[in-house]
Amino acid sequence: MLIESLIVSISRDPFNPELNFQAATEYEKLGQTASAVSFYLRTAEYGYESHQDLVYLSLLRLASCFNDQNDRLATVSNSLLQAVAYQPHKAEAYFLLSEFHERQKNWQECYTFAAIGLGLDPKDYRLQFEKAVSGWWIGRAEESKELFQSLLKRKDLLPHYKKAIELNLDSI
Amino acid sequence: MNLVKKAVKFGGKLAPLVISEGLTSGTGLMNPSVFIDNDGDILVNLRHVNYTLYHAESTQRFPSRWGPLGYLHPEKDQRLVTENYVCRLNSDLEITDHARVEMLELHTPIWEFVGLEDARLVQWDGEYSIIGVRRDTTTNGVGRMEKSIIKLDKSKWSAKEVKRTRIPAPDPNESYCEKNWMPVVERPNQFIKWTSPVEVVELQGNKCIQLAVKQGIKPNKDQRGGSQVIKWGNVYISVTHEVDLFKNYLEQKDGLYRHRLCVWDNQLNLVGLGQPFSFLNGNIEFCAGAAVFEGDLLISFGFQDNAAFILRTPKAVVEDMIVEALDAN
Repeated sequence: MLIESLIVSISRDPFNPELNFQAATEYEKLGQTASAVSFYLRTAEYGYESHQDLVYLSLLRLASCFNDQNDRLATVSNSLLQAVAYQPHKAEAYFLLSEFHERQKNWQECYTFAAIGLGLDPKDYRLQFEKAVSGWWIGRAEESKELFQSLLKRKDLLPHYKKAIELNLDSI
Repeated sequence: MNLVKKAVKFGGKLAPLVISEGLTSGTGLMNPSVFIDNDGDILVNLRHVNYTLYHAESTQRFPSRWGPLGYLHPEKDQRLVTENYVCRLNSDLEITDHARVEMLELHTPIWEFVGLEDARLVQWDGEYSIIGVRRDTTTNGVGRMEKSIIKLDKSKWSAKEVKRTRIPAPDPNESYCEKNWMPVVERPNQFIKWTSPVEVVELQGNKCIQLAVKQGIKPNKDQRGGSQVIKWGNVYISVTHEVDLFKNYLEQKDGLYRHRLCVWDNQLNLVGLGQPFSFLNGNIEFCAGAAVFEGDLLISFGFQDNAAFILRTPKAVVEDMIVEALDAN
């Protein structure tokens, strides 16, 4: 079992962010999200100065693990906000925050985080989608339609995004 | 050096204990208790909880909303719920069978800590028991050790509680919470309840009788159970834990756990106490089981309440630890 060899390696080098991240990833693959949380968090704490990309990714994965456990919304949000604070110039956490608030129907928060993310990565269609969805619910109907229509012209959409855009355009 | 590194270096083996997330929703598997039964099977009681322990270590740059240490239960369910699985391991320490212990429904839990926690597995007079603390029978969380006799059907691999005894503290039985008593594997219904002074008690029917209270070695920190107390050559040994609980400047709780090897003589006098050690350099670790297997020592422990492991510790390493413990006192 890969986890076994990773934990043995961690016993020799307990604070190694890369080993802790690998162990977390393996536990997450098995659906053992609590175990994954422990090792992602160790990655984040012990890699703070030396492994910034891994730390950022660990915070995002922490959010995902807690999301998978259901009914831990405050912690999902907290982990994503910590990622934003750690590396505010990266768009991914803004997208995840926007998506998180979409699920909660917090439309202004969804719109705001999408807008911030697009300021960093204007071509990210996932952020454009979130902005379009939330825009409708905060009174920006024309902007929302225009965004959806322009998104439909893109060739790089994943199928489920394309379908969701079409459904949204049909219903607004 | 942590114990896993040392044990593996000298030929030991570490094995993670994992059962399907389809049964557990991915939340914590923790504090396993290993035991070798009369058939020679390696059994483990594995605790599953409905929460995830969040513990930020090091400089704690990423605490939870509630601080560096928190029990992250579902937000709409404040309870911290425990259930237990009895597992069988092969000689490579892989789980080959597991079954959730079907508990008797004797009462409706009325406190937030629900279930039998940190249960140690034993087989006394042929009957399997899981013995841990239950705190859900009063509205203020009074904890008492409970002995749950379980019927283990090895052909169907099922486990069912058939009898439960809530063990009172010795008279006057007024303490708030009793937990982590260490069952003495070779002495049915006997426990080391406390280590300084050493307090040995015995469950007799529904009563708990104090058999001995004697001051032996005085640890500089309270030693709390712990694994079972098991025979090792001509002495008894157990693994105990000590804990520093403290708060940061925001009054948020935090903790540091370390373990030690205790050596006991035939009268259960504490005659040796080893140096503190960790298993994996985690701040929160917890040992709830030990058993002799093919001359080596199996030690089962939880890591941050979120993961469970079993460590085969070579005989020579254990002997060194015993000598160290005896020499230190």
